[in-house]
Amino acid sequence: MHRGKLDILQGTLDLMVLQILDTMGPMHGYGLARRLEQVSEDALQINHGTIYASLLRLIQRGWIAGAWGTSENGRKAKFYSLTSSGRKQLRAEADKWERMSAVVGRVLRTAGRG
Amino acid sequence: MLAGIRTLLSRIGLTLRPGSEDDDFERELRAHVQLMSDDLVRRGVAPDEAMRDARIRLGGVTQLRESHRERARLSWVGSFVQDARYAARTLARSRGFSAVAILTLAIGIGATTAIFSVVYAVVLKPLPYPRPEQLFNVFQVQEAQQNTGTGWSYPNFADLRDRNHVFSGVAGSQHHQLTLTGWGDPIAVNTSVVTAEFFTVFEGTPITGRIFSTRDGEPGAPGVVILSEALWRGPFAADPNIIGRAIDLDHRSFTVVGIMPEQFRFPLMRESRQLWIPLRQDPLFGAWTERRGGHWLQVTGRLRPGVTPAQAQADLDAMAARAQREFPAENAGWTARMLPLQRMIVFDVRSALLVLLAAVCVVLLIGCANIANLLLTRATTRSREMAVRAALGASRWRLARQMFTETVVLGALGGAAGLAIAYLGVGALSSLVPPNVPRVHDIRIDPAVLSFAVALSAAATLAFGVAPSLFASNVDLQTRLREDGRSGESAGRRRARNALAAAEVALALVLLTAGGLVLRSFAKLTSVNPGFDAEHLLKAEISLPRFEYSTPEQWRGFTRDLLNRLHAEPGLQNTAVTIPAPIADGAINLSFEIMGTPARSANASRAANYVSITPEYFTVMGIPLVAGRAFDAHDAADSTPVCVISEALARMYFPDRTPIGQRLRFGFPPGPDVTREIIGVAGDVHDVLLEKPPGAMMYVPFWQAPFPGAVLVVRTTLDPGAVVATIRRDVAAMNPNLPVTDVGLMPDLITASLAQPRFRAFLMSVFGIMALGLATIGIFGVISYSVSRRTHEIGVRVALGASRGQIFRMVLGETAMLTAAGFALGVPFAMFATRLVGHLLFGVSDHDPLTLVAVAFTLAAAAALAGYLPARRAMRVLPMVALRHE
Repeated sequence: MHRGKLDILQGTLDLMVLQILDTMGPMHGYGLARRLEQVSEDALQINHGTIYASLLRLIQRGWIAGAWGTSENGRKAKFYSLTSSGRKQLRAEADKWERMSAVVGRVLRTAGRG
Repeated sequence: MLAGIRTLLSRIGLTLRPGSEDDDFERELRAHVQLMSDDLVRRGVAPDEAMRDARIRLGGVTQLRESHRERARLSWVGSFVQDARYAARTLARSRGFSAVAILTLAIGIGATTAIFSVVYAVVLKPLPYPRPEQLFNVFQVQEAQQNTGTGWSYPNFADLRDRNHVFSGVAGSQHHQLTLTGWGDPIAVNTSVVTAEFFTVFEGTPITGRIFSTRDGEPGAPGVVILSEALWRGPFAADPNIIGRAIDLDHRSFTVVGIMPEQFRFPLMRESRQLWIPLRQDPLFGAWTERRGGHWLQVTGRLRPGVTPAQAQADLDAMAARAQREFPAENAGWTARMLPLQRMIVFDVRSALLVLLAAVCVVLLIGCANIANLLLTRATTRSREMAVRAALGASRWRLARQMFTETVVLGALGGAAGLAIAYLGVGALSSLVPPNVPRVHDIRIDPAVLSFAVALSAAATLAFGVAPSLFASNVDLQTRLREDGRSGESAGRRRARNALAAAEVALALVLLTAGGLVLRSFAKLTSVNPGFDAEHLLKAEISLPRFEYSTPEQWRGFTRDLLNRLHAEPGLQNTAVTIPAPIADGAINLSFEIMGTPARSANASRAANYVSITPEYFTVMGIPLVAGRAFDAHDAADSTPVCVISEALARMYFPDRTPIGQRLRFGFPPGPDVTREIIGVAGDVHDVLLEKPPGAMMYVPFWQAPFPGAVLVVRTTLDPGAVVATIRRDVAAMNPNLPVTDVGLMPDLITASLAQPRFRAFLMSVFGIMALGLATIGIFGVISYSVSRRTHEIGVRVALGASRGQIFRMVLGETAMLTAAGFALGVPFAMFATRLVGHLLFGVSDHDPLTLVAVAFTLAAAAALAGYLPARRAMRVLPMVALRHE
């Protein structure tokens, strides 16, 4: 594990991809990878390839859809966007995540003080 | 849930159209690298470097592609399809191997399925009546006299029907033929005479009309008849208005009240054209309903729901005890038993069919062993391929799966081809199955047989596929890759192969022994002298309607007139009348007393087969007279009652004195309790079946004991067709409404009576030959493979001075060892098998030494042949070539 950088759990990556697509609209794979690095201020170092595993998982579940389009600099790229069931899933997951991280945070604080 | 299904669907979608998604992903990855390098260039990185960095950041493209593909497809379906495709390619490459394996399997599965279709239709398939498992045949036995499985008299049946607590219904049936007139040519039609409860017990539903009611069974009820569908469609041309119309049977009018569907066939299981009339209205058996003595009514009972057979038997015992008390003269010593109706119907063919099924399964097993051996051999030659695959990361499980997929593909192809063979086989078998086997018309490939074939293919695949798959996947990388794949065969694998070949020999030994015995028994059967000269002997039957010819005087008059007419025809001088004719007609068994000898106890009466003949009979048939004289013109209706007995009867009952002049008495119409003087002894005749020893027989003059009809026996060298035409013409001249039936040549009738033994002998021979062939191929395969493996070793031996003879003997010795092991393994099973077929044998002991020696010799000779070819090849190995072999 690299110092100062976080390895991310699979489910977390999926959730983050959904979140980014929700806020940013349709994006291609590279854009997503870039965005992930930016929002985490480069704390998250991911192998760009893993993005595609995540995207495939999400497509198979029907939460996102992919279509070929043209990038801002005129390159052919496959763009992904959130489906309505993906949006629903994101809400549910985000709630769950927040509850979880709150709990985890509390436990860690308590443990630290004790 | 929904998401899961969608995942599955999208995966299957990808699986079904491979390729397109891969391309798409490929493009996407290229786009990714492009976009990233664009980005980096914008940030000032040199273009080449940017491209390189982008690729690095993306990660291992191959890996990515692999995992994408894995995930995008159902991985096991994908790998199965992949394995199956690979397997198909591999099999297509080694055509010889595949052809032999698939053909072996196809023949085995095809033959087994075909035999199973017969077993299923005849033995296993439920009878076509509602809840057939409740139906039981109820019969009477007199154990002290070994009288097993007889019928009932009508009064005894009526008591059973009225007093039992265990049957929801009991019905009686019998059958014979009546003459149908008024619809085209007169025909003799199979008539089942049944008690009124009959159709209620069988729960038979007519296509149209009604079944019999209680009223139809009452004395004096008007005549009614139910037709079978085939009869209705045949002579009655499917007349839609038949219900309510009257038809003439033996010149008496019967009103048609119903038509039974095609599948309802009882008690005549083999006849599609038949009709049913109430027992009381039958001209023959109707007169017997008041007599308590006699055992002629076949009784079927339907158990009440919830009653066990044991409870029913207890009730039968109680009723039998009461019947013995009430009517000791008729019922002393008689008890009642029951058997599931289905078992009863197939009683005599069931075990023979099961033996055939077992035999064909043995053939299939030998075939499987052969294929397993071929696969093991191939696995050895492919061990390098396996090692390479293992080195590239395939797990042992993955390799085993690959190998097993190959055998599954083999099994599926073999099974499919086997099914095609089964279709052909069933067609051939249906025409081969003796017509006197019940339910033959039901033999077909139906869903049950189809499922059997599929299950059989799966079982066979497991049988020949598991061991080779496991052996093949057991790869020791180090040794395998280092060696040249030459001597790389494990001892375990070699042992497995030898064991399989030995097992084949053992199985073939079992089958050949059983088949040899059955065949020899059949040969003995065909050489049995029937006791008369069947050549140029023709038989035909005329039965007289009892309503029209009701008195013995009329019966005598008709037969005398007919014989006079026939004797006047050129070439028909050698014509006699007999009832019944031997082999063709069965026997009439009657009890008798010897006058002046104390009568035996009630349950130990004497019995013999009764034949009524005209004086020419012995001459026409060529039956020798051993003592005394035959009948002549003086033995007329009003002269001293006489009889001629057979040698068997003389031996049994007059062992120490001459029977001539002794007197017999048997209670049989028309003159019951007539005392007859024995005037001669005739040679023995196999009167029922060639398999059965000649029974005790007594002949009486037709003029003293006439029947309403005649079986003509004619010895003539004229064309049979012309003879029959003459007979028909003469009969028609006397009465145009009399059919001439049951026409046949005696040699054909004897051949037909051997149909079942012939069928068994034929199939057992076929299976035996298949087993022998397969086992020979099996030994050949193992030995020749062993020789090719050992070419190097043999070369060294020859170089070190071994003579060719020594090499030859070494290989033959290996063959002998294998065969000996097979014999050692097979003999106990063969002994067991001979016991299984023991009851099918005639005139051959189940340890017949000649058969056993012949079988052992044949198998040894086949093994020697199988070993000879590889041995000769081994002998010709040149040391230099062999040593350079690698």
